[in-house]
Amino acid sequence: MPSIAIAATGLTPAEEAAFRRKQLSVREREELVKPFLPSEPDSSSENAASKAAARHRRTAQNAKLNKKKKHGYFKSLLFFATYHFIALLFSIFFRFRRAFRLVYTKLISLLRYHHRTPEFIALDVSQLNKLPKHLSVIVELNNDDEQQGNAGLEGLVNDVCEIAAWASSAGITFLSVYERSGVLKNYLPQTHTSIESTLESYFGPTRKPTLSLRAPHLSSYSPPTTPPQTSTNGAHTERQHLTVLLLSEHDGRDTIVDLTRTLAEMAQRGDVRREQINQDLVDAQLSDHVSSEPDLLILFSPTVQLKGYPPWQLRLTEIFHLPDNRGVNYQVFIRALYNYAKVEMRLGR
Amino acid sequence: MGSLHDSRIHKWFATSPPVAWTVRQLRELLIGSLKQGPVPQHVAFVMDGNRRFARNHHIETVEGHNLGFESLARILEVCYKTGVKVVTIYAFSIENFKRSRHEVDALMTMAKVKLEQLSEHGALLDRYGASIRVLGQRNLMKPDVLAAVDKAVTMTAHNKKAVLNVCFPYTSRDEITTAVMKTVETYSTPIHNLASPAKRAFSESHITQHLRKQMLGDETDAGAEQPESRSASPGSKDAGNPAEDEVSSSTSTAINSSEKDESHGDVTFLDPESICAQTLTDNMMTADAPPLDLLVRTSGVERLSDFMLWQCHENTSIVFLKCLWPEFDLWQFLPVLVEWQWQQKKLQEEQQRIRGRVKTD
Repeated sequence: MPSIAIAATGLTPAEEAAFRRKQLSVREREELVKPFLPSEPDSSSENAASKAAARHRRTAQNAKLNKKKKHGYFKSLLFFATYHFIALLFSIFFRFRRAFRLVYTKLISLLRYHHRTPEFIALDVSQLNKLPKHLSVIVELNNDDEQQGNAGLEGLVNDVCEIAAWASSAGITFLSVYERSGVLKNYLPQTHTSIESTLESYFGPTRKPTLSLRAPHLSSYSPPTTPPQTSTNGAHTERQHLTVLLLSEHDGRDTIVDLTRTLAEMAQRGDVRREQINQDLVDAQLSDHVSSEPDLLILFSPTVQLKGYPPWQLRLTEIFHLPDNRGVNYQVFIRALYNYAKVEMRLGR
Repeated sequence: MGSLHDSRIHKWFATSPPVAWTVRQLRELLIGSLKQGPVPQHVAFVMDGNRRFARNHHIETVEGHNLGFESLARILEVCYKTGVKVVTIYAFSIENFKRSRHEVDALMTMAKVKLEQLSEHGALLDRYGASIRVLGQRNLMKPDVLAAVDKAVTMTAHNKKAVLNVCFPYTSRDEITTAVMKTVETYSTPIHNLASPAKRAFSESHITQHLRKQMLGDETDAGAEQPESRSASPGSKDAGNPAEDEVSSSTSTAINSSEKDESHGDVTFLDPESICAQTLTDNMMTADAPPLDLLVRTSGVERLSDFMLWQCHENTSIVFLKCLWPEFDLWQFLPVLVEWQWQQKKLQEEQQRIRGRVKTD
């Protein structure tokens, strides 16, 4: 304590003592915190010496202990009752809160529907002074029968298409989509076609952004569609480009494990030394092979659970979720962008 | 929010004996009842907002950190009393060295003083049964701080009931890199003492003989049956010819080792293919802790800031709270815990439902 005060105010110990309360001794401090401490641990966890002491104490306070036992029953009953009471109370509260939030979001999304028009979305983001360069989203593959409308692969593709269209309308050029099982990676061409057609329905055939779709360890898929417009009028701006990256659970831990294996093999052959393995090397390898660090991660789940998202890339990523939201929703997307723009970035400073 | 001095009357009221007694009893009751439900085994805190708290209340930044430490003590009490086994706190990031020299020094001094005080009260700390561990880059610490750290760690090392992990100069990327480095080191040190392939219990010639016999047998009487059993469920295949599986796996390892023998002479290494996620997890600084159940970050910043990346990206519930760390207490932590318990219950119900569905199918 005194040294801090000196560091903070530059007082000598004598001045310090005059202005502050007197320094406590070890004994006094122990007395001070005693009421807040739990009771002495039972003898089973103690060593032999204290065990003897505890036994001694026990014989002396046998009568008191009996009384305490009865007290203990009552206490545990009370705890049990309180626990269930709190659980009930909160469960009611959580349900009401969820219902309220659902209604609220539905209402807002009705009022501020984007009408599948890029101009509306561009207007929504026009007040933001900062947009993420690399946006990442976590979507889920619902195999549940309950989730009507967005179940199965079709629902997943649909979600990805919509998100890609929103991102492109907002002016984001790099989007990575995480889905745990990575099922979409098996259908790169088909997914590309679907996203392309959604973009066309948003932007129209002449203005639609060019699209390239890729996944780690797979070659980028960007078919030579209509060649760049031979614009007769030079003022015509170039079309926007959108890159979509598909990520899966495999790009997380497994990729780091793969890297370790490769490094171990190289080390066995003597190609790499221990000192050469550092953060920069790992970072360079992982950002080359998987993805760069996203600026913003949007979750469409009701709680924040990352479900195996590549850990290395998450370092400074802003994580956004709307509590109690379920499913892909334009409101979550736009609110995440708003939230991102307002946040001041403090990089350990 | 007014300054701290405005709340003097409030403070007087709160510290008057009857009120203080009631509040303490209420805390005990709540903690005891929380214990009745599922309790997270491993909780991590990012103690964010000390400086903003100090700024809001017009006090020194260092005082804010001091208040933050008091808040930590309160939360630790709640955690250990409810039965949390491991608490991990983010005390100091490697990035924090970029802050002003004055603040870094003050933080270091605070850490030293607090650890020294803790060591003075070793007996009291034993009541929680908590041992302190420091995770991070030791070579970035000053020698005097390091000495205080070591003293506190050795003093509490005998406590087995709970663990307090203090991430001191720590970043998660550094941790992952270190784990990779350690793994590579293990796998690139030649193994001499272990049985060399020549001394293995299996003889290659015997296996080839067996294999040949098996193939002959397959061709003569089971040739037609083999494809059928493949297409059937894997269970029946396993039951059908376990001998074949065994033999094939042992031959593959034998081939591996012989290849290696040729290329490296008498030097043998562990097989890098046997590295898995668990190997890296074991090399993390939190290797012996249970999986992270809950991560709480205060002060409304929704970022992980290089903390527990490897540990929290699977099934951890991450909670971002608006309140600043010095204000964080049981009353803020209680809803988080109750909600976690509620989610856990939901999860269990869902699992049971899925299991029930599988059974009926």
